[in-house]
Amino acid sequence: MHTVLVIAKNTFKLEIRNKILYAILGFGVLYAVVMLFLSDLVLQELPMVKSFGLLGIYFFNVIVALFLGTTSFHKDIERKIVYFILAKPVSRAQFVIGKFTGLCLVLLSSSVMLGAVYCGVIAYAHGGFDAMGLLAIAMQFLEMALFLAFAIFVTTFSSSLLSIVYTSAVFFAGHIVSSILVDAKAIGIGGFKLLAVEAMYYVLPNLEKFNIRDFAVHPVATPFTFFFMALCYAAAYIALLLFAAIWIFEKKEL
Amino acid sequence: MVVYSSVRKAYKKRVAVTDFSLSVSAPIFGFLGANGAGKTTIMKMTVGLLAPTSGTIMIDGQPSSAPVSKNKIGFMPETPYFYETFTGMEFMKFCGELYGRRGSAFNSFAGGLLKKVGIYGARDYQIRTYSKGMRQRLGFAQALVNDPEYLFLDEPLDGLDPVGRREMKDVMRDLRRDGKKIFLNTHILYDVEEMCEELGVLHRGRLLYAGSVKEFCAGKSLEERFVEVVGASGSQEL
Repeated sequence: MHTVLVIAKNTFKLEIRNKILYAILGFGVLYAVVMLFLSDLVLQELPMVKSFGLLGIYFFNVIVALFLGTTSFHKDIERKIVYFILAKPVSRAQFVIGKFTGLCLVLLSSSVMLGAVYCGVIAYAHGGFDAMGLLAIAMQFLEMALFLAFAIFVTTFSSSLLSIVYTSAVFFAGHIVSSILVDAKAIGIGGFKLLAVEAMYYVLPNLEKFNIRDFAVHPVATPFTFFFMALCYAAAYIALLLFAAIWIFEKKEL
Repeated sequence: MVVYSSVRKAYKKRVAVTDFSLSVSAPIFGFLGANGAGKTTIMKMTVGLLAPTSGTIMIDGQPSSAPVSKNKIGFMPETPYFYETFTGMEFMKFCGELYGRRGSAFNSFAGGLLKKVGIYGARDYQIRTYSKGMRQRLGFAQALVNDPEYLFLDEPLDGLDPVGRREMKDVMRDLRRDGKKIFLNTHILYDVEEMCEELGVLHRGRLLYAGSVKEFCAGKSLEERFVEVVGASGSQEL
């Protein structure tokens, strides 16, 4: 555990110094300005401001997760920095988990920073504390952690560029796969086609499980079990992806 | 003692090392061979970066990839790369933490290592500002953070100017005096002649000779003998 934390801490330090922090801060300032401007512009349209605010954080973090997930781990292998690390009493599993944890910390920092701006603007412009908004940001973070684990998994067997392509494809598929299954059943397809759609549904991550932005924007009650199930789903999926990544990395010739 | 027993390493159809058996207890042992002879592959297997296809590598009776063995070794890869935005000292601390070493006592120890390799003055500069020679020195210093018993150095003198080479050789001699065992990968004959008591000559993944440098030379120059031995086995393809 100690080794995992050392790698996580140093991964976090490394990525924050690799100008990600400036990107987060820059986006944070721009985000605050646009949010305030939008709040002034559409005073009576709080849902629109919230919706824009949550989507802004979401897309920024998607880009950060995609960038970090497909480059950080890959660079350590490509530039042979792993030689220093793995020649020491560090297992490959500890390295993968440490990298993942460190990158998650970067995403968490980004979510916390932008979440604070979001809550600040909502409180300043409209009064009150947007607890559901914060919950939506927390769910978005869970989705990003899963997305990051997928990117690391793909990076263990493909190049950085291909990892971006595969991870982006899974991101889009992960958001439409549940709708495709519903539509496929609605129009009554069966046999092999339905099996294929069902297989996709169960294999690909269902990223819509983490989307509660609509519940946060419009005052709709969300059952606690929804959050709990999403948390369990993310934990299980991340564990599976990291397990697979470690399995492949263990076999990789360095 | 480091013991290799019938070690073989193949990458799919290409055999990099075969039938490699050796026991090493000399203070400084040099692996000598042309580029592609298998020196780096052997060193990577010894420090646990690669798994042998067959055979075993033991350090003091334990598998070389076991944590207990890894705590005893230091490794400097060929052409080391680093986290560019870390300072030299930060990288040393990172390496130390991987052995559970930290705190002010370790910081002084790490500072001492940087002094020893001659880059203490640049300890707080980011590594991206380091020259190739400084990177080599940092690579050397990080291999010492755990005060290892066995030191595996892959082409440690590459990229160093003549003064740097001399300084690094002096550091190796100091380490030998402190009782460390050093494994040196090089294709520079002069370094082996000057530094090592024993050598292993590798050619196309096979060990052609292992033993004392003096006996190997048998009154001739190392270069002459190396060419003779390698030339005689040149037809043996893997």
